[in-house]
Amino acid sequence: MLAYIGRRVLLAIFTVWAISVLSFVIIQLPPGDYVTSYIAQMASSGSVVSEEEAQALRLQYGLGQPIYVQYAKWMRQVLVGNFGMSMEWRRPVTDVIGERLWLTIAVSVAALLLTWVLALPIGIYSAVRQYSAGDYLATFIGFIGLAVPNFLLALVILYLGFILFNAHIGGLFSPEFQDAAWSGARAWDLLKHLPIPALILGLAGTAQQIRIMRANLLDELRKPYVVTARSKGLSEVRVILRYPVRVALNPFASTIGYTLPYIVSGSIIVSLVLGLPTVGPLLLKALIAQDMFLAGTIVLMLGVMTVIGTLVSDILLVWVDPRIRLEET
Amino acid sequence: MSQVRRTPRNRTLRSRLTVALVLGALTVAVAAVALAQGKNALIGKLEGPEVVTDAAKIPKAFKEAPQLAELVKAGKLPPVAERIGQDPLVIKPLKEIGKYGGTWRAGFTGPADFWNGFRCCSGPDHLMFWDYTGDKVMPNLARGLEMQDGGKTWLLQLRRGMKWSDGKPFTADDFVFWFEDVYRNKDLVPTPSATLAINGKQGVIEKADTYTVRYRFPEAYYMFPDVLAGSTDLAGQMFGYRAMGGFAPAHYMKQFHPKYAGQAEVDKKAKDEKFDSWVRLFLAKNDWARNPDLPVLSAWKTVTPINTPTWTLERNPYSVFVDTAGNQLPYIDKVVLTLAENLEVINLRAIAGEYDYASRHMDLGKLPVFIENQVKGNYKVYLDPGDYGGDMIIKFNLNYDADPEIARWFNTADFRRALSLGVDRDQINETFWLGTGTPGSVVPVDSNKYNPGPQYRKLWSTLDVKKANEMLDKLGLGKKDAQGYRLRADGKGRLRIEIMTLGGQFVQYTQIAEMIREQWKKIGIDLQVQEVERSLALKRTEANEQQLGAWNNDGSEHLFTFPLHVFPFELAAVASSGPLYVKWFHSAGAQGKEPEPRMKELMEKWKKAFGVPEKERIQLGKDIWKIAAEEVYIIGVVGMGPASMGVRVVKNNMGNIPSRQYNSPDGKTPGISRPATFFWKN
Repeated sequence: MLAYIGRRVLLAIFTVWAISVLSFVIIQLPPGDYVTSYIAQMASSGSVVSEEEAQALRLQYGLGQPIYVQYAKWMRQVLVGNFGMSMEWRRPVTDVIGERLWLTIAVSVAALLLTWVLALPIGIYSAVRQYSAGDYLATFIGFIGLAVPNFLLALVILYLGFILFNAHIGGLFSPEFQDAAWSGARAWDLLKHLPIPALILGLAGTAQQIRIMRANLLDELRKPYVVTARSKGLSEVRVILRYPVRVALNPFASTIGYTLPYIVSGSIIVSLVLGLPTVGPLLLKALIAQDMFLAGTIVLMLGVMTVIGTLVSDILLVWVDPRIRLEET
Repeated sequence: MSQVRRTPRNRTLRSRLTVALVLGALTVAVAAVALAQGKNALIGKLEGPEVVTDAAKIPKAFKEAPQLAELVKAGKLPPVAERIGQDPLVIKPLKEIGKYGGTWRAGFTGPADFWNGFRCCSGPDHLMFWDYTGDKVMPNLARGLEMQDGGKTWLLQLRRGMKWSDGKPFTADDFVFWFEDVYRNKDLVPTPSATLAINGKQGVIEKADTYTVRYRFPEAYYMFPDVLAGSTDLAGQMFGYRAMGGFAPAHYMKQFHPKYAGQAEVDKKAKDEKFDSWVRLFLAKNDWARNPDLPVLSAWKTVTPINTPTWTLERNPYSVFVDTAGNQLPYIDKVVLTLAENLEVINLRAIAGEYDYASRHMDLGKLPVFIENQVKGNYKVYLDPGDYGGDMIIKFNLNYDADPEIARWFNTADFRRALSLGVDRDQINETFWLGTGTPGSVVPVDSNKYNPGPQYRKLWSTLDVKKANEMLDKLGLGKKDAQGYRLRADGKGRLRIEIMTLGGQFVQYTQIAEMIREQWKKIGIDLQVQEVERSLALKRTEANEQQLGAWNNDGSEHLFTFPLHVFPFELAAVASSGPLYVKWFHSAGAQGKEPEPRMKELMEKWKKAFGVPEKERIQLGKDIWKIAAEEVYIIGVVGMGPASMGVRVVKNNMGNIPSRQYNSPDGKTPGISRPATFFWKN
């Protein structure tokens, strides 16, 4: 087991390095650079950047150098924990991401918890009571949840919230708490704003998990060991929760690899629509502005989280499902 | 990884489409009601506050905001008269003397949105500035400007006893420091600014005495007052982030300059704050929006910077602005701009009444929704049409050379005119401007001093399909294919023209271009609309790959300080009339391509205007617009509308709000209405 984990970790380090190279290259691919997008932005607001000024900016940011030189420079900094200066925000990248990271995690964990709290019982219910009215209802809602893009849902909820409840539009804080120092009142304000984003972000995932849980459990329920358990006289609840549910949980464990980066990047579009101060919109803006260090750092961070997540879910799978054996070891 | 693989651009596009759909449905529902109220109810009379220059009317005693009075009482601040100095900048408020207090809430879109704060809250802090009509230059931070030596020397008089926001005196030394140590430092300013030169020859800035600055130029520079008033490199601290401005707080900035602090010291400071070099540190420290410690002269000053989720500005206790009753301005204590992740959120918040005054980023297409929610949101909607001729213009790239046939037609005046005659501007105005714009050529509003006459608005700019077809037939484009499109004269199939547009702007260029594509079918022209990403647009114009480009000509009503939409002046443009002409113009003929005679004439008149007295300049300006309208280098579609920052949403209980204001980047609108005089009535 230890050797297995060791090997996976080594592989993970290599993967992360590859991701860092790839992300840097991909960010450079679109035409132009940060200065071009800066000029375009100025043009949109009725201002002008002269050719000379553009050249001077390129020089200052080191954008004229070949890409491998820029990469090497960046990597040297990253290795000592300095992720560089965001060109657009003109602040250290770690500062820019830092303040948004915790809010992102709060939103995403809330969404994740909601997903599981809703999906597991409903999934179990609709498998056990297959083709009942309740199953049909869950299926119906589930398909709507899957089919409706969540950003559209976000828009509709925003609109309804405004029309019906005169709710504050977007964001995670009321204006008066926007910049306040952390306090009980501010945390409560955040909690009050959390349910809607969590619901919207969680809904599509919930629908999906319900379907997966239902399908898996249905497969298991028909297996002879369930019949055996029943015939031994175990209570129905115990029969279902103890054995088939545990087996059907596999997909939950194996998706953790994707869940971790999801926690950080959230759903970019929903965050944009709802105006959430999370990492998602930051990444989008950084990509559009070709703010290389900021975008590169976020992509790198997502890569690392995916790798770690995959590792965790591999280990979890072994633990949840004894049938999975480490045959190589 | 699934998050990473998504292509964000498509996604935003899709989300925008959805937003458009949802709001579109709303729009249809209420559009009829809104338009019944009429555009006339929304566009008021042009009005605004005035600068008082009559010495007799300057107040002798001053009053201040209560919280500042407290500080004075506690001995933490000198008395108000001492802070303002002997020569206050007196503003006569539009309607009434206001009262102190309150917060002004608005939104911004991120660190690139710094114009937002300059426009609302800087004062404006230009040395000279426009009166509310945007036509006349008035004293501002400077008390006066005196021409000497036939326009070669200009004396700028500063206000005696005026102070920076940290209480240190604002004197001629701040100009000399900027000129000698910032402007002439090659690391900070690699290439000198054209605004400090006449006919390509650089001027100098000197100290005449503590409160007098002397500008000397090798040749007469009659345009100089306009340059100090406009949003130029010499306009004040807004351009400090790129080492421009015309002055800088010497006492503060010296600590970041190697000449005064020593190279080793500034290098260390840069490293401590994680900057690559001292240059970046210096520029960051000299940034009005970013550095709360920077001494400023504006009415409000930044307290939490633009690169945080809330950009907050508070009253400058040393503000030199006062009203006619001697109250130190601003009236409103604080301006809070909250970060909105996208434009839809900004618009929705405005509709919900969460902003007190907002015009930037307000979408004309949502006008009916704004109007519908006026009562609920306790606000009123005003429209501020621009003075420039084109909210949408179409530039012919006269230098396009990838296809000789296309190049030939673009350089044929009658071809350009015929295409312009094929545009149904009324249809476009009704659809996209809800009838609030003015169809016509590129020339500015009739009241503009450079407007060549009302007949030029219509010249080659009305719908005349018959005449357009006749002209095209006569040019040798008479043959058509089975679908009715004209064939190329070189026999290589259909004459197909491309137009490049940008999405996500104040004006829906792509959608309008699609409508023109339909309209041009009637004159047998096959137009291909290509929406491109903005960086790509810049690359392609620079590389001379653009055929037609759609944009607006905002700022062009100030023809001489903002010429880039009148003739090819800037290489980095999302739509260009000819990148090779730009090079030719700036290299005095050494590079690029020599323009055709009339374009050359236009450029020469523009250049000449800087060195002649105003009367002559006005005539030159009129001539320039005449040429532009006659030659149709640029097609004007619809202009003088409120599309660009002209939809204004203001709380009902905010005072001194003009019913209409001059709307332009040069006027730093709403700066031209002096937001320091806005106040809360209750």
